Amino acid sequence: MEAFFQTYFDFQIIEDNFGYVLEGFWYTIRLSIVGGILSLIWGLILAVLRQLPGRGLAPVRWVAIAYIDALRGVPLLLVIFLISGGLGALASEGVIPEGLGIPRWFGLPDPFWYGTIAITLTYGAYMAEVYRAGIEAVPRGQVEAARSLGMSHGQAMRFVIVPQAVRKVVPPLLNDFIALMKDTSLVSVLGLVETVQAGRDVYSETFNASALTLGAFLFLAVTIPLARFVDWLIKKQDMKIQRGIP
Amino acid sequence: MTEPIISIRDLRKSYGDLDVLTGIDLDIDRGEVVCVIGPSGSGKSTLLRCINLLEEPGGGTIALSGTTVFGDGKPQNLDELRREVGMVFQQFNLFPHMSATENVSIAQVKVRGRSRKEADEKSRELLDRVGLGDKVDEYPDRLSGGQQQRVAIARALAMDPEVMLFDEVTSALDPELVKGVLDVMRGLAESGMTMISVTHEMGFAREVSDRTIFMDGGVIVEQGKPDDVLGNPSHERTKQFLGLVLAN
Repeated sequence: MEAFFQTYFDFQIIEDNFGYVLEGFWYTIRLSIVGGILSLIWGLILAVLRQLPGRGLAPVRWVAIAYIDALRGVPLLLVIFLISGGLGALASEGVIPEGLGIPRWFGLPDPFWYGTIAITLTYGAYMAEVYRAGIEAVPRGQVEAARSLGMSHGQAMRFVIVPQAVRKVVPPLLNDFIALMKDTSLVSVLGLVETVQAGRDVYSETFNASALTLGAFLFLAVTIPLARFVDWLIKKQDMKIQRGIP
Repeated sequence: MTEPIISIRDLRKSYGDLDVLTGIDLDIDRGEVVCVIGPSGSGKSTLLRCINLLEEPGGGTIALSGTTVFGDGKPQNLDELRREVGMVFQQFNLFPHMSATENVSIAQVKVRGRSRKEADEKSRELLDRVGLGDKVDEYPDRLSGGQQQRVAIARALAMDPEVMLFDEVTSALDPELVKGVLDVMRGLAESGMTMISVTHEMGFAREVSDRTIFMDGGVIVEQGKPDDVLGNPSHERTKQFLGLVLAN
């Protein structure tokens, strides 16, 4: 029991490395927020492309569907390698400018941006599916009312459908965000010292897992309140539905 | 004889093997109030939805004030049509995330290009006209069905349409709320609005319409003065239908 406690909860090691792990967690937070916001936007764009009307735009719909299927079906880890390896190689061959191939925007290292791009590409596909469910849950009569007032398809989507769809899908989007936040740890394979990598660094130095425990608690400090918040939102929506409010 | 505001020739519509409209010819004059009655499945709602091209017809032509809006198998001048034709639905279809005023204003601003202030002023004026002057800031979920339907009428009127289409607008309402909506429609008819109303309200048809149309099986079976069609129908199917409707 003593040994177990020592391995996972050595307060001396936690104290000594608190700053180091916290620095890693700060990367985790920034990856989550930047990747999360970009995924939300990219997902909405994909969902809207997927819903474009008419026969002429069918190719656009097919491309959107193929993209969503592909990115949902491939491990994020693989996408991270594809992006970092691919962009780096293309830049060194001069196909794309170095600023794009080895991005160091806003003073953040290129593994951060490779990771952000990969997360956005993958989670954008997941979130597109969530948005789609929301768009399809808006009653058909809403589009008809908007169109009968002379709005174009685009105006109907922008002012009538999407605002209602987004309200319906806030809880599942937040669930995806929780998953996204945990998956940012995969970016450690590119050498970014985020929370998990920081814990591993301490482990290989001390042969003690306490810094990893600290990392776990840092994650939980964000994900548990978020999960409770999602539950609360769902409960609030259910009450509205029970009261017969659309 | 002035040109009809709506002119429909040989309008057809089918869903797969099911023929819903099998050749409708219909002219509506400016200022005319027309009520369309008939059993469910007779194609009356589909006719109305085809006029607004919410359903794409399978064939025939539709002209609005002489401008073809459907012909050669495809919609033409769709935006113009939708701007000039207002529609009110059975299920109201108010935008739930907007207040009554915003519901009435949004298309004025986005489609008609009015300023927000101008649109809101007009919206409040119209809401007042349909008896909701004290509800302008309420959201749809705080309004009764009858009130929601009157907001929907105001919303369609805000676009200054030439024609108003009403698709069974009182069918989803509790009986005590029907009168308020019909009163608004009556006032609209008296003001000279061209109206086509698919309805089960025989009393309304009789009292307000200039012409009553009975549809069954995707065709117009008979039409004429409401007193004739409803009081002294010449077709067996009309008699049967009215017998069933008026029995209860």
